[in-house]
Amino acid sequence: MQGFIKTLFGDKNTLVVVAGAILAAVLVLHSPLPVLAGALLPLCLLAGAAYLARH
Amino acid sequence: MIAAVITTFLTASVEWVEAYTIILAVALSIGWRRALGAAATALAVLALLTGIGSFVLTRIGDFAILQFIVGVFLTLFGVRWLGKAVARGAGLKKLHDEDAEFVALRASKEIHEARAAWLIAFNGMLLEGLEVWLIVVALGVQTHHTLAAAGAAILALAVVATAGALARKPLSRVPENTIKFVVGAGILSFGTFWVLESLGYHWLLGDVTLLALFGFYGLGGLALVRLYTPKTATAKVI
Repeated sequence: MQGFIKTLFGDKNTLVVVAGAILAAVLVLHSPLPVLAGALLPLCLLAGAAYLARH
Repeated sequence: MIAAVITTFLTASVEWVEAYTIILAVALSIGWRRALGAAATALAVLALLTGIGSFVLTRIGDFAILQFIVGVFLTLFGVRWLGKAVARGAGLKKLHDEDAEFVALRASKEIHEARAAWLIAFNGMLLEGLEVWLIVVALGVQTHHTLAAAGAAILALAVVATAGALARKPLSRVPENTIKFVVGAGILSFGTFWVLESLGYHWLLGDVTLLALFGFYGLGGLALVRLYTPKTATAKVI
C-alpha cells in the first residue's frame, strides 16, 4: 500500500514542488497577463526538478 | 498517440529491467517455475488495477477534471524522474546498478526461504509495475488509447524477458539513467500541457507545444546536470 501511494504521489518534497508550481500558474492565469502561465509553469517545474535533484 | 506509446514503452522497459533482476535473483533460489509464478501473479494484479483505474477515470464526466487529475499525476511522476536522473547524471546520487542490486539480493537471508523469496519476487514485480500501470492508465485514458499503451508495456516486457532469457544475468548494460531522463522530460511535458489546458489555458502552438516543452525540459535538465557536476567529475546522463 505504501508503495502504491508513493508511486502515485511521490514524497513530500515532490508534492510541495508540484503544488507550488501549479498554484503559481493558477495565480498568473488569473492575473492581467495570463499568457505568461505557459512559461511560468515549465520554469517552476524545472526549478522543482533541480531542487529534487539536490534533496 | 505515437508519443504516448513510445513513452510507455520506455518507462516499462526501465521498470521491467529492474523487476527482471529481482526475478532472476529469486529464481536462482526457488527455481524459475515459482519465481515466474510470483511475477505472473503480480502481472495479473497490475492488469486488474489497469482495468479498475481506466474504468474509474473514464467515469469522470467532466473532461477538464479528468485532464487535470491525469496531468497532476504525470507531473508528479515526471518531475520526480527528471530530478532523479539529473542527480544521478551529475553524480549526486549513485547510478542504479543492476549487478550490485543482484548481488545484494542474493546475499539477503530471505531469498533462500521459499515463501519469503516468492514474496520478494511478487512485491518486486508489483512495485516496479505500479509505475508502468500509472503511465498506461494516465496516458491511455487521456489519449483514448489505453489498449495501445498497455500493448507497449507488454511489448517492453517481451523485449526484456527475451533479453533476460538470452543473457541469464542482470541487464546492467541498459542505459537506465538516460532512459529515465528522456522519459522524465517526456512525461513532464505531457503533465504540464494537460494541467494548464485543464485550467483554461490556450497553448498557442497547440499539440506542437509538447515538442517545445520536451526540448525545454531536456535541455534544461542537461544544463542542470552540467551545473551540478563537480568540476573534477564528468556528467554521465547522456
